[in-house]
Amino acid sequence: MGTGNSRRVRSALAACALSGTLLAGAALGPGTAYATGSAASAASAPSGQGETTLRVKMSGSGIDTLNPFLAFFDGAYDVFAAIYPTLNSLDEQGRPGPYLAESWTQSDDKLTWTFTIRDGLKWSDGTPLTAEDAAWTLDLIMKDPVAGTANGSLVSNFASVTAPDATTLVIKTKEPQANVTYVSVPRSGIPIVPKHVWEPLAGKLKDVKNDTFPLVGYGPWTLTDHKPEQYAKFDANKDFVLGRPGFDHMVQQSFKSVDAAVAALRSGQLDYINGVNPTQFKALQADKSLLTIQEVGNGWTGLEINHNARTRTGKKIGTGHPALGDPVVRHAIALATDRKTLVDKVRDGMAVVGAGYLPPAWPQWSWKPAAGEETPFDLDQANKILDDAGYTKGGDGVRVDPKSGKPLELRLGIHADDTDDAGISNYLKGWLETIGIKLKIQTLSMSALNSDLAKGDWDLLMDGWTTGPDPTFLLGIQTCAALPKDDGTAGNTDSFFCDEKYDELFNKQRTTFDQDERARIVGEMQSILYKADVNQMHFNANTLDVVRTDTVTGMIIGQPDAQGMYPAQSYSFWGYLKAAPATAKVTAAKEESGGGALWIGGLVLLVIVVGGGIALKRRSTADDRE
Amino acid sequence: MSSLAAAGPAKAKGQGAARSGFLPYLAGKLGAALVSFLVTLVIGFVIFSLMPADPVRTLTRGRPTSEAQLTQIRLQLGLDDPIWRRFLTFVGDTLRGELGYSWQFQQSVSSLVADRLWPTLLLMGSAAALSIALGLWLGIRSGWRHGSLFDRIASGASITLWSVPTFWLGMILLVAFSVGVGPIPSLLPAGGMSDPSLPQEGWAHIVDVAKHLVLPCLTMVLVVFAQYVTVMRSSIIDEMGSPYLLTARAKGLTDDAVRRRHAVPNALLPSVTMIFMHLGILVSGAITVEAVYSWPGLGYLTYEALRIPDLPLLQGTFIVFSASVIIMNLLADVVYRFLDPRVRAQ
Repeated sequence: MGTGNSRRVRSALAACALSGTLLAGAALGPGTAYATGSAASAASAPSGQGETTLRVKMSGSGIDTLNPFLAFFDGAYDVFAAIYPTLNSLDEQGRPGPYLAESWTQSDDKLTWTFTIRDGLKWSDGTPLTAEDAAWTLDLIMKDPVAGTANGSLVSNFASVTAPDATTLVIKTKEPQANVTYVSVPRSGIPIVPKHVWEPLAGKLKDVKNDTFPLVGYGPWTLTDHKPEQYAKFDANKDFVLGRPGFDHMVQQSFKSVDAAVAALRSGQLDYINGVNPTQFKALQADKSLLTIQEVGNGWTGLEINHNARTRTGKKIGTGHPALGDPVVRHAIALATDRKTLVDKVRDGMAVVGAGYLPPAWPQWSWKPAAGEETPFDLDQANKILDDAGYTKGGDGVRVDPKSGKPLELRLGIHADDTDDAGISNYLKGWLETIGIKLKIQTLSMSALNSDLAKGDWDLLMDGWTTGPDPTFLLGIQTCAALPKDDGTAGNTDSFFCDEKYDELFNKQRTTFDQDERARIVGEMQSILYKADVNQMHFNANTLDVVRTDTVTGMIIGQPDAQGMYPAQSYSFWGYLKAAPATAKVTAAKEESGGGALWIGGLVLLVIVVGGGIALKRRSTADDRE
Repeated sequence: MSSLAAAGPAKAKGQGAARSGFLPYLAGKLGAALVSFLVTLVIGFVIFSLMPADPVRTLTRGRPTSEAQLTQIRLQLGLDDPIWRRFLTFVGDTLRGELGYSWQFQQSVSSLVADRLWPTLLLMGSAAALSIALGLWLGIRSGWRHGSLFDRIASGASITLWSVPTFWLGMILLVAFSVGVGPIPSLLPAGGMSDPSLPQEGWAHIVDVAKHLVLPCLTMVLVVFAQYVTVMRSSIIDEMGSPYLLTARAKGLTDDAVRRRHAVPNALLPSVTMIFMHLGILVSGAITVEAVYSWPGLGYLTYEALRIPDLPLLQGTFIVFSASVIIMNLLADVVYRFLDPRVRAQ
């Protein structure tokens, strides 16, 4: 009996030893812990002797391709903004400023723009950077359909682009175009590429991966390495015309889960994350080594209503509920939506209550309904207008459309991978039930939602858009021209909105060069959208950023307003440029961490040695015991 | 392993007969594998083509795109082609060994798969090797002494870990060992396959990759090894009452020798089946683990393809995954023939 017990104990110890082997892997000796800890605090983990590296999380969508003529993902444009120049930069308000172009003028007929290009700039391989590079890039996008894959629409109104000399760029447009200075800006615009590198590749653009490092470019950084889905590495351009980067190197590391990125930030493997969620943000606020800031959002989250989907010729398509064509029903839905609660509960208060179609990140286009014109949260009023319009409640409490006889049972499509959508839909379901509208929530993938959207096979959809500082594209998807053709092709409408007055204003703002007047027209357009209740803005989520203060300083641009909100960070272009290493030294806590790791590594090693010894001894005496 | 039932008409006429029957047996298996692969091709194409989706809208969602642009992109991607032409192109490309051109990454599917094959095999292979070794060892020990303290601990722990959602376990390990909790300091990297600020070659790089591998590999092992424990344990228990073990003991063999030389080889067959099935799905990666630890594997690549959906990439990865399973099944059939005389006798 005693032998049996003893065998069991030894076997258990041997099992522990094996588990210890696995854990040993986890510990990988104290060296791992120490390396991690020290790299963390140095922020600026040295790449060479005394050199510093800024480590940031790569934009969530990652890099689809490094070919600037073909890329669609934000991550790629983040990289392009760092390594390729643009004609204009953007200031804190999203207004165009100088970059390659020092200045620009328009002709009296508003059809010719003349940009004066800086003299003396050189690409990273030493070749002079001139107006000819810009002219060639823009001209190629205009004329070559493959080159225009990603950005063709931005130059669709261009008649010609020429470079009469090295410092002059002339753009002629077919019609007057107010937003020419937004066409080539960091991240949302067209990057200018070196003609001497790309001209030989022009005939086979579709096959160009652009992955011979270091890439020839000009910007605050030079791309020195990229591993798909892992990282992009940059060297600072110390002669950059808009200022020298504060770090010697930058690494953008890809994280597929923001939780993992947060873990990397907390353990010091990252210095900056742009775009955490409210829960993560609140948890990180308690960490003294981190700076948590909210920047005004550059997008909106809201509800699209399919009010009788139709084509450009007025042919009805899709399976939308006919009652949604009635402005009364749409307004009742707006009245039954408590946007303030959505901000408080779904975004933990980290959003602005929605109203205007354009987000607050670009204050020059910001619009709010005049006092007394806001749609309040008023369930009684919503019930009343539905009662008055003849939508009587059935026995099950669901109202019936008096015209079609159909109950007001509506499908609400939400994105499967969006937690905000899930939260909002639950609140909406409850509120709408109280006014006699029943919701059936359909959780769909983005691609399935897009497919249904184009065909009009939906009633209500949760939707969201972000936009760069020029509002033309976002406003354009609400024009009649965005409706699909009769054969179901073309069109990029969201809600099948089509309004003559809106279209007229849309065309007018495109040719209005006085920015204040243009803003007034854009405001009027947003007023039309607001009153139509077709695109109901719920909120503009604040962008939530976190920076390690023990490693980085100067990353956040601008000053907070009275509510503590920072201006939009212009897609990190300025932040990465102006960030500099903090002077903080390795903290005692980190050193302590290294010590703790030593202890754990030692303990694991002890377990392995003892367990292994027992197992070996047992094996050697097995025959004797038998 | 259902194909084992159709192992062929080879008759048991001793060793020589078994050898002479191997080639027809192999030919039959190869033929069946080829048919399976062709059927898989058709299924893969049909399933993905039927998906309700507008890939161009999803692809271009983040950029201002005009109608002319959208039309041009549809044309470039071949979305305007009738489905029969797309099918013929797909089959022709596949037979030529080409996997198509990814819509979202704008490069060949083969190069995308090749880029991620090594990270996938490294993670999945090391996790499989450890799971198999740990699971079989624990299963044999637990089965041989079933009901013992060791058995109760090993079986209980493995079943508990098997029940844990992989994503959740990954996050817990991430927080515990990367961020550090309580007395546990930050020990390991939070994600990725290597530290970009270190040199990407040489011994230092190998050690760095090993550090990054620990947590995802550990997560996979903890979740997967239980299936080997349970199968091996029950196989051993089934064998324990067999008369040949009594004979072995009567011949004076030690308990260890009886277990190792007699019980284990006979109890191993179900585990061999499972091992080959496991090897077959190695290349398909593990989406959840790759997502938690930002590991650049094929599983997450497939998920990314599904989001658009990027049909050539989906179909390409589907072909690779299917081929891998079919090849491993084929190998299992061949290995079975050598391991089990009963298969040779069929």
